[in-house]
Amino acid sequence: MKAFLSALTLSFCVASAFGQEQAAQPVVSSVKHATDGHVWGALIFATNQADQLTGAKEPEYSDLPRLHERLARVFPFKHFEILGQHRQDIFREYESWVVPSRELFMKIDSKGPADKGGVNLHLQVWREHQVLVKSDAVLRKDSPLFIGGPPWKDGRLIFVLFLERK
Amino acid sequence: MKHPSEEHDLVRWIDGEMNEAERATFEERFKHEPALATEARTMRAMSASLRAHLPAEMRVPHADYFNTQIEVRITQIALDEARAKQGGTGWSAALQWLRQPWFALAGTAALAVVGFVLLYPDTNGASESVILSSFAPNTHVQARTYHDSGAEATVLMLDGLDAVPAERKVSGINIQRSEVEPELASTTMFNGQGTAVLMISRDALGNHLISPH
Repeated sequence: MKAFLSALTLSFCVASAFGQEQAAQPVVSSVKHATDGHVWGALIFATNQADQLTGAKEPEYSDLPRLHERLARVFPFKHFEILGQHRQDIFREYESWVVPSRELFMKIDSKGPADKGGVNLHLQVWREHQVLVKSDAVLRKDSPLFIGGPPWKDGRLIFVLFLERK
Repeated sequence: MKHPSEEHDLVRWIDGEMNEAERATFEERFKHEPALATEARTMRAMSASLRAHLPAEMRVPHADYFNTQIEVRITQIALDEARAKQGGTGWSAALQWLRQPWFALAGTAALAVVGFVLLYPDTNGASESVILSSFAPNTHVQARTYHDSGAEATVLMLDGLDAVPAERKVSGINIQRSEVEPELASTTMFNGQGTAVLMISRDALGNHLISPH
């Protein structure tokens, strides 16, 4: 099994290295796994220096209106730039990963539906191979979670997690 | 069953921790106690065999393994204490509470709170996300949680994190769906065009691997 996994990982790397235009060979599951909901996660760069923005062209997320305005209520910055975003099923029986960036990402374990709506989650925010924080949380619709992450340049990286309505 | 001190002596002999006099005294007993001699020599052989086959150093299973173990132990102790307290109370303990002079006052206040909750059911708390607990393995990091009504968001603020080097390029990914393969312990992630852009798997020690790097 270990050898097979290594071979699989290696083949994935080789496929990607030959060109991003070519699709890597995905591991496609034929099984639809049970879920406890769906989340949208994003990595956001907050800064006061417009010239420090990366130029990322990630589209706004329509289900979470006034995101920049709401972030500005919490984080004292003028500019908020979505660097990456990830829509993810919350698998009932398996861990779920929200990876809007390789720099900062999240592991989610579902603990089932919450009383009065939402879902109980165990969250882990990772920075490469280092876990920054572990939390137990109840995530509810229309109530995003803003996680203030590490400083970067003259600003800060922010992780946003939002329970989708679907 | 052997006496604990006897077990202790046996372990010290196997590990070579006895001084010359202690070792001589202990081995002198082998002449009169053949069962002890057999057990001691068998265990020493097993110990030597294990040491020969195990690496001198072993990696921890994951980055915050020791912190996790401490957390688990703290939780276990708290649960044990809670159970012990519950076990120690009974009807007699409950009656002692009733005899306390402040009980009537506290009971009245509790009834008032219950009545208020029944008359004015909570319409806000249930609609907000809530952080129930948070733990940062790095002791220099402080995790603060609160709800910001202006932002209509729940905030988990991590203060004290090391900065990402300014020269480092932090780039994002756009992922629209993923497929999990439990047998391979892997998750493959796809962009909006259905192209696989990322895979997360685990190595033999349970550490996650993101491919391509």
